[in-house]
Amino acid sequence: MANRSPSSTFTSDPVGKSVPRIDVVEKVTGSAVFIDDMQFGPGTYHARLVRSPHAHARVVRIDVSRALEVPGVKAAVTGKDLDARIGLYLIDRPIFAGERVRYVGEPVAGVVATSEEIAERAAQLVEVEYEELPAVFDPVESAQPDAPLLHPDLGEYDVASFIFPEPGTNVSEHFKLRKGDVETSWPRCAAIVEGEFRLPQIQHVPIEPHGAVALWELSGEVTLWTSSQSPFAQRDLIAQSLGIPHGNLRVVSPYVGGGFGGKAGVSMEVCAVVLARAVKGHPVKLRMTREEEFVGTTVRQSLVAHTKIGCDAEGNLLAMETEYYFGGGAYNDYGVNIARAAGYSCTGPYDIPNVKGDSYCVYTNQPIGSAMRGFGMPEIHWGIEQIMDQLAEQIGMDPAEFRRRNCVQTGDTILTGMEMPAIDLVACIDKVTEAIGWGKKGAASAPHKRRGQGIAIMWKAPAMPPNPGSSAVVRFNEDATLNVAIGAQELGQGAFTVAAQVAAQALGVPYEWVRVSAPVDTKYSPYEWQTVASRITWSMGNAVKAAAEDARRQIIELVADHWDEDPDDLDVKDGKVISYTSEREQPLQNMVIYGLPNEDFEGWKGGPVVGQGRFMPTYVTNLDPETGQGTRAVVHYTVGAQAVDLEVDTETGQVEVLEIASAYDVGKAVNPDLIMTQIEGGAVHGMSSAFEALRFDEDGRPLNPSLVDYRIATSVDVPREIHGDFVETPLEDGPWGARGVGEHVMVQTAPAIANAINDALGIRFNDLPLSAEKIFLALEGREG
Amino acid sequence: MLARPGLPSFDYVRAGTADDVVRLLEEHGEAARLMMGGTDLFVGMRDGVARPRVVVDVKHLSGMRDVVYDEQARLTVGAAVTMNEIAHHPDVQAHYPLLAEAANSVASYQVRNRATIGGNLCNASPCADTVPVTLVLEGNVVLYGPGGERELPAGEFFTGPGETALGADELMTAIRYPALPPGAAGRYLKLGRSKIGDLAIVSVAVLGFPDNVAPSGYRFRVALGSVAPVVLRVSAAEEVLAENPPGEGGFALAAEQAVEAASPIDDVRGSAAYRVAMVRQLTRRGLREVWGQLRGT
Amino acid sequence: MATHSITVIVNGSAEFLTVPSSMTLLQMLREELALTGTKNGCEAGECGACTVLVDGEPVNSCMMLAVEVDGREVTTVEGLARLYGDGKQLSPLQEAFVEHNAVQCGFCTPGMLISAHALLERSPDPTEEEIREALVGNLCRCTGYLRIIQAVQTAAARKEEV
Repeated sequence: MANRSPSSTFTSDPVGKSVPRIDVVEKVTGSAVFIDDMQFGPGTYHARLVRSPHAHARVVRIDVSRALEVPGVKAAVTGKDLDARIGLYLIDRPIFAGERVRYVGEPVAGVVATSEEIAERAAQLVEVEYEELPAVFDPVESAQPDAPLLHPDLGEYDVASFIFPEPGTNVSEHFKLRKGDVETSWPRCAAIVEGEFRLPQIQHVPIEPHGAVALWELSGEVTLWTSSQSPFAQRDLIAQSLGIPHGNLRVVSPYVGGGFGGKAGVSMEVCAVVLARAVKGHPVKLRMTREEEFVGTTVRQSLVAHTKIGCDAEGNLLAMETEYYFGGGAYNDYGVNIARAAGYSCTGPYDIPNVKGDSYCVYTNQPIGSAMRGFGMPEIHWGIEQIMDQLAEQIGMDPAEFRRRNCVQTGDTILTGMEMPAIDLVACIDKVTEAIGWGKKGAASAPHKRRGQGIAIMWKAPAMPPNPGSSAVVRFNEDATLNVAIGAQELGQGAFTVAAQVAAQALGVPYEWVRVSAPVDTKYSPYEWQTVASRITWSMGNAVKAAAEDARRQIIELVADHWDEDPDDLDVKDGKVISYTSEREQPLQNMVIYGLPNEDFEGWKGGPVVGQGRFMPTYVTNLDPETGQGTRAVVHYTVGAQAVDLEVDTETGQVEVLEIASAYDVGKAVNPDLIMTQIEGGAVHGMSSAFEALRFDEDGRPLNPSLVDYRIATSVDVPREIHGDFVETPLEDGPWGARGVGEHVMVQTAPAIANAINDALGIRFNDLPLSAEKIFLALEGREG
Repeated sequence: MLARPGLPSFDYVRAGTADDVVRLLEEHGEAARLMMGGTDLFVGMRDGVARPRVVVDVKHLSGMRDVVYDEQARLTVGAAVTMNEIAHHPDVQAHYPLLAEAANSVASYQVRNRATIGGNLCNASPCADTVPVTLVLEGNVVLYGPGGERELPAGEFFTGPGETALGADELMTAIRYPALPPGAAGRYLKLGRSKIGDLAIVSVAVLGFPDNVAPSGYRFRVALGSVAPVVLRVSAAEEVLAENPPGEGGFALAAEQAVEAASPIDDVRGSAAYRVAMVRQLTRRGLREVWGQLRGT
Repeated sequence: MATHSITVIVNGSAEFLTVPSSMTLLQMLREELALTGTKNGCEAGECGACTVLVDGEPVNSCMMLAVEVDGREVTTVEGLARLYGDGKQLSPLQEAFVEHNAVQCGFCTPGMLISAHALLERSPDPTEEEIREALVGNLCRCTGYLRIIQAVQTAAARKEEV
């Protein structure tokens, strides 16, 4: 869908309209600033990290003396220089490795020098002596009592009240869901399908690698510039970890060149701050190479899932039992919340009366597992959606029909005992089956190819602590253009555009008058918990709406007083205050700064209009640690469906995805075309994720930390058609009913593809990644 | 361990003549590396496997960038000619389309503006795209060293994975492709993890032409890439094809010979088992398609 | 390490620089000339975020040395509109990207624009297949490429009309 070019256009009531992105001209001219583009002057130093070559080892000795001798080197820092850990939900990660390293690539030291080249050379001269320890890579193995213990001090780590680590083991979180009685339900099932599903670690692969610049002033003020989804969360974690008062630590983030969750928490940024402390007064720049991005930032956790689901002869789901073992990597800070979220949503988008779920996060000697688009949902839907297809097959029901019958509906009591808020997943299923031509698949394009269709549905709730807040400030300029200040970040998903639309709509000004721009700066921007969880349209949107309404109220009150009219008879439309009774008009220009004069200029009223607003959900409750039951586990769910049409070349195993149809219940499409762009990008990301895997040798060393051997979807791999659609069942507390969708769009693509491959070949793949090789060898194995 | 940011320090020298190059190589020995497009060299330097102190740019030597097709129907391609230049050259497209096809299959358009045939051949990766076609086109590599110029059949040039017969003080200046037998048709098939743009997991080059001396009336040349330490011609397959009438039966037999000749390994890009199966697959497809061209269908 | 005095025309303007041997063209553009529109995504010639035109041909600037552009012309995203010579802020291709919402995070965008521009110069009426192939060396993680392909098609169609 094309949009008009931004310039002299004038769009009223923009919510619901596909207005042009607010940041698009900056980005097509190359003038949008990212962290590596920022200039810090001639006093800038550069840093490189020294990384562990072992997956698990004691650090016996570390000697930086040779590094320090290199001309141009200003400082070297090791784990011995600081005794600080960092974390959000579980404070388990040292900034530089202390007495041991726990994954290949873990930073053990950092070197600061006048150039990156010198820092790199000096880093090579840091001598580290290790004593290797037995390592463990499989999460199920690692959860066993006899596994090598990665965190003997687990019991001493600070942990959020809703996370339950098991000290003395590698289990950093165990979420339990108990509803009804699965044991007595199995006998009542006409069909039961059980399966083990394995997913490897994969990486976000943002096209912009991580980067950070930190400056520790002699005054004690600390500034961190970084590509960040969550400047305020990063400030909070780093402040706590290093003992810096929050007011003395400033985090500034320019545009983010792709986040996908990888830039949500703290990974390499705190290293930059610690290194800056060693060279006070000098900005220190630390940037990740692409190779470091793969294994030295964060990844999506691996998963081993044992899942068993049963239904009766009519196809009603009766029981589900599941165990999720997430391979959280060396440090499980975010991972524990992912395991928790997977636990309280473990059924997938289904109404199942009897559920036994155990979701574990387990330490493994691998790169750090953390938030990645979907936050546990893509991982668990991989198995769930394949089992659902198998159940449907066993009882002789169409897979789409099976899902229509069993999917969660408004008002259902879901697995945690919460009542399902209003959504319409059946409508989403209907839309995608219609769009893909469900049941009427086309002919294969050649005799050696097989055509297949597959469907998968999903749900996801924002996985957050119970009290994540958003706030916003609306400030006018003399010409009545206005700046909306938010702490939410533009990652490409369109957050700035949505903020502008919401502000314009709530105020009554044209969309084109609104300015929302980078950077987010904790010193000046109002607080935003994090730009994650697909929560921004909803939460930030509410805050911006409130701020705009606050400004609007101030404006109307002033003009009502000035006109001696009732404020209820006034409105703001197209940037003017109008009266429905007297039909007078008052333009906003100048008035929003200078106020209005009294009669005969006997004094003035008003002044600079500043609107403020905030939003924080108030209704999320605790969950019982033994059963996972509680009044309100999450704020809401977004649901959706995807159908895939593909072809498999049986001679090579290559898969060509011909079409993907997606539909999501977004509550209210604030910007329909932006939603389409998320759907398209998500479908391709989801498709790509089915074929991606980080590979390691038996010693835990990465085998493919580069774009040569970790391949992501290219322009040639994209399906001919991605058909996107949405349903609008309003979210009760969403701005105009809007709900987020940024992650949901890629959650179920991989199992939809697996289901389509099964339709084409009659072969199931329980383990990711898919590949032409795997498919071919499976075909050969079957025939051979 | 992980690749370093940027390139390590070195001195760049742009050579004026081939003798300059030889002198520099003699002077610096192991500390010097020749540079063409840099697409392999720079990656190697970031990975720490190449650590030259001196990088000698040989792209600008006389003739290195020329493509010459002469009256004797022979093609001389300068070693510094880029993949895009080869792929789009009218003489190459007209007379050696197999070479154009292989050059055009390398990576992306941007990389093909820099990657050169000389660099590709001298890097001698088992999955190099121009090697199988150069073998079946029976090209000769032209080398220049302290002893002057010498020419070597491509089949004798590749001695191991990443190893060639290029002397320590030599550079490659050109590749000479002889006139093709009349009526020749060819095909380069490459299987990657993605449809295009990837390295070859398996590659097959097939050239076929009428030959009334051969019992079958045709001769085929078949070369396999990525399935052995060195790209190889499969003479056993070629014999089968010379003996047996062209058709599915003969092609299947030839494909089995190709499978026999291949000795692939398991690596991060593919398993030996898959590669073996794909050798069979691509050989058959290649032969089928070349046969289709020969018959005019 | 040796340094070299070079003269290079960048976006129509002559630049006189002294560059070390091992400086890449990408580093030269970003660090010597502060033309930060061209991005560093991998330094391995894989992602295409660093794509620029050298004498009109797209190359990965991370895989080329600064010293090699002596006497040559380089165009970056900042100089794209200038190539059309009509004084407008945006080239037809950039306008098409805007209209089609072919931009999300924007990091791949400069490289995409350069590759797409070069395609339209050599093939003014490309098929969809040709567009896809021309862009295979430009990775995008956000958009799913469809809008980008459509924007190139729109720009091509407009060139036809002119």
